[in-house]
Amino acid sequence: MADADLVVRNDIRSAMWNPGGWKSLLSFFILALAWLAGFSARLFAVIRFESIIHEFDPWFNYRATHYMVENGFYNFLNWFDDRAWYPLGRIVGGTVYPGLMVTSGSIHWILNLLHIPIHIRDICVFLAPIFSGMTATSVYLFTKEIWSPGAGLFAACFIAIVPGYISRSVAGSYDNEGIAIFALMFTYYLWIKAVKTGQVFWSICAALSYFYMVSAWGGYVFIINLIPLHVFVLLIMGRYSQRIYTAYSCFYIVGLILSMQIPFVGFQPIRTSEHMAAAGVFALINAYAFLKYIQNFLTKSEFRYFFFAAVTIAAAVVFIAVVGLTWAGYIAPWSGRFYSLWDTGYAKIHIPIIASVSEHQPTTWVSFFFDLHILVCAFPVGAWYCIKNVNDERVFVVLYAIFASYFAGVMVRLMLTLTPVVCVLAAIAFSKTFESYLKDDSPKQNQKNADEKGDNKNDRLYDKVGNKKIRDEKPKDEEGLGINVKSIIVVALLMMLMLFAVHCTWVTSSAYSSPSIVLASYGQGGSRTILDDFREAYYWLRQNTDDKARVMSWWDYGYQIAGMGNRTTLVDNNTWNNSHIALVGKAMSSNESAAYEIMRALDVNYVLVIFGGVIGYSGDDINKFLWMVRIAEGEHPRDIREVDYFTPQGEFRVDAAGSKILLNCLMYKLSYYRFGQMQLDFRSPAGFDRTRGVEIGNKNFELTHVEEAYTTEHWLVRIYKVKDLENRSEIKKPHKPVKKSKRKPKRQTVRKPGVIKHSPKIVKGKKVKSPKTTKTPPKTGGKK
Amino acid sequence: MEALYRIPFNFLGCPNLKLKKPTWLRQPSPMLVFAAVLTSYFLVTGGIIYDVIVEPPSIGSTTDERGNSKPVAFMPYRVNGQYIMEGLAASFLFTLGGLGFVILDQTNKPLMPKLNRILLICVGIAAVVIAFFTCRVFMRIKLPGYMQS
Repeated sequence: MADADLVVRNDIRSAMWNPGGWKSLLSFFILALAWLAGFSARLFAVIRFESIIHEFDPWFNYRATHYMVENGFYNFLNWFDDRAWYPLGRIVGGTVYPGLMVTSGSIHWILNLLHIPIHIRDICVFLAPIFSGMTATSVYLFTKEIWSPGAGLFAACFIAIVPGYISRSVAGSYDNEGIAIFALMFTYYLWIKAVKTGQVFWSICAALSYFYMVSAWGGYVFIINLIPLHVFVLLIMGRYSQRIYTAYSCFYIVGLILSMQIPFVGFQPIRTSEHMAAAGVFALINAYAFLKYIQNFLTKSEFRYFFFAAVTIAAAVVFIAVVGLTWAGYIAPWSGRFYSLWDTGYAKIHIPIIASVSEHQPTTWVSFFFDLHILVCAFPVGAWYCIKNVNDERVFVVLYAIFASYFAGVMVRLMLTLTPVVCVLAAIAFSKTFESYLKDDSPKQNQKNADEKGDNKNDRLYDKVGNKKIRDEKPKDEEGLGINVKSIIVVALLMMLMLFAVHCTWVTSSAYSSPSIVLASYGQGGSRTILDDFREAYYWLRQNTDDKARVMSWWDYGYQIAGMGNRTTLVDNNTWNNSHIALVGKAMSSNESAAYEIMRALDVNYVLVIFGGVIGYSGDDINKFLWMVRIAEGEHPRDIREVDYFTPQGEFRVDAAGSKILLNCLMYKLSYYRFGQMQLDFRSPAGFDRTRGVEIGNKNFELTHVEEAYTTEHWLVRIYKVKDLENRSEIKKPHKPVKKSKRKPKRQTVRKPGVIKHSPKIVKGKKVKSPKTTKTPPKTGGKK
Repeated sequence: MEALYRIPFNFLGCPNLKLKKPTWLRQPSPMLVFAAVLTSYFLVTGGIIYDVIVEPPSIGSTTDERGNSKPVAFMPYRVNGQYIMEGLAASFLFTLGGLGFVILDQTNKPLMPKLNRILLICVGIAAVVIAFFTCRVFMRIKLPGYMQS
């Protein structure tokens, strides 16, 4: 017994001193902490408000998930939603990326299997924070493959709290991106692994992960272009090897077949230009491998001729094939969204509906600093290290960095794809810097440091331990520099990292954690007022309108009306049908009677507008109004012209100087109906719009074809009922008199001798009537 | 193979042509690649694409209470709006910070006199710290409430 005890103790002791054991324990703990920190940083919205789905798109995802959980997966795939895009409807199963719904649906299913009852909404709310931890882990794995485990831990900690990623993954923002970044990084990790090892296993894994990515987000196009580009650049650099051939051909074939299983993607991978690069590189790498094979049989000089001829012919054939197929219509040209990435002005000119989305705007420097903070400085440094010590997989990171940073410059939204690579490269930079500047510390001091400080500090300790071996191998440079200088630098860098953490928390709490359905305003004493107008209005719709009622609103609110109000909408955030949206835009921007015709044609019962003039909410419909006009103008250039809505000086203003057409259009009237009588405070005149800061121009008007149905507490949402057709207006003057007036004079002109002209006939008890007047016919009921 | 390969040359005289890979066409050095990457990074983080699409003025101006127009370097309160110069200034700082890190790394070359090393370290850390704190100042100007509450 004692013997066994001794053995065990010895084992433990040896295990305690085994650096490998410590290493894995530490990395496990740091990853767990990163997960925890990332998860808790994303909970601001839940703690401040409640467990609620945010914004616009998540509401649709939630609705679809709910449908899937209730009706089963196959019914979900076949779901035809007749409550959207009235009267067209939408085939939901074939037009969504189902990965998100399937993920949360399966989590729900597993938990229910374990008898843990939980509402699907809570899973949806907390899905993105949970996945952020998985993203951190996959970024760790990726960086570990690229550089070192120490850098990996840095990267995991960065990605866990960096605002660029938090912006899309706070609790409640139940959107594709939340899980897609995990899939993206995991696919890249597996791809790097496949390139490194050249094993079929890893490339099949990469293809499977790619399949998950395809099912989750349209951004999969980024993967299927970046990986072929990596292969292509490796070929050009003369780094071709058997490993790359195996990795790419397995990945491409399996990935292609798998990606075509998603109904929404369908045949796109072989039919659209976005995917042609992958196919071209596949052909190229096969041609290259074939040449390599031929090389075995030919002499060197022969091969040279053969090589040039073959490469030229192959390139020409591929190019002509792609161009020819595109021209013949077998391959669809690039879609507008994709095209606008290259030609940046394209969307502005041709596709207002893409340009109108605020997250499709080009990025300013503020966004870079806001979302990445210190990492934006360290990012090129990491790229420098990777370029300096280049190998197959670092080529990949560099390419990823270049393309992602360009795309992030074009669209704010694509900051999301840039963020992981920034974390990776910044982690490399920090890890390398700390590696060289922590060098002279004695291990004892290090231990102390680690105890004092938290998460980030641990990395450094870990770094040191991990790189001990490398350090010993390096030639010792002179110690004369002293610890002081180095420690100053280390402290300065640590301070910056600390400020980074503070910045991340601040940005998360103040910028990215508002549900945007519930608004909060803060008084002077720090008191908080909750403005719950949106839900109030949607609840009113749900309770007080007919189940089949059609609600017209601008497309931003379509998903929310469907999700919370459960009513049929005309257009929603899916924006697949530009002309339908343009029709709604036309209705909003034409005058009341013209709009009424459109609304009758579209069979609208209610109109919903968002009006922020009372509380000073800037995201309301009047501020979005120019986009409605632009989109409407794109389809109906004869009826709607953008210039009509500006003053002659080219300003967009709603006060008395504004253009007459603007002041009489439907959107203006619906927003400002009865607002002219309202005085918000004593300093400003009645009808003072707080958002625009002006007194409105058209105050007293009545609505003829619509009537106010509901206005929420702070006037944020206003709902109007579209009246039925009016009764035919009464006919004031009959057309008969034309006949009579012909006859009567005839009668009157009959002259009898001795009769006084126009002599009044006197009947007892009746007023004297002149014979000329005719009786007005009884009022008609308006029917003819 | 040989026979097949010779067919065209039976009736074609092979011209005495010397095709050389042009001397300037070679794989660019890592430094060159990095310089290109850094330049493009400088432009992109400065919002050059925004400048091209939106065409903001290089510097804005306001009118103060006496009616004089004053130049304004920063477009305040707007996260997704900027003037050209402020973007370039900010991205210059980003790049400066990056170069600071690179300099810090360069000091670790084994063959370097001590004085040079200390000077370089000072320059490097100064670049990083200055860049970082100036960025924060810029941010304060841009969003006056930054990190306040």
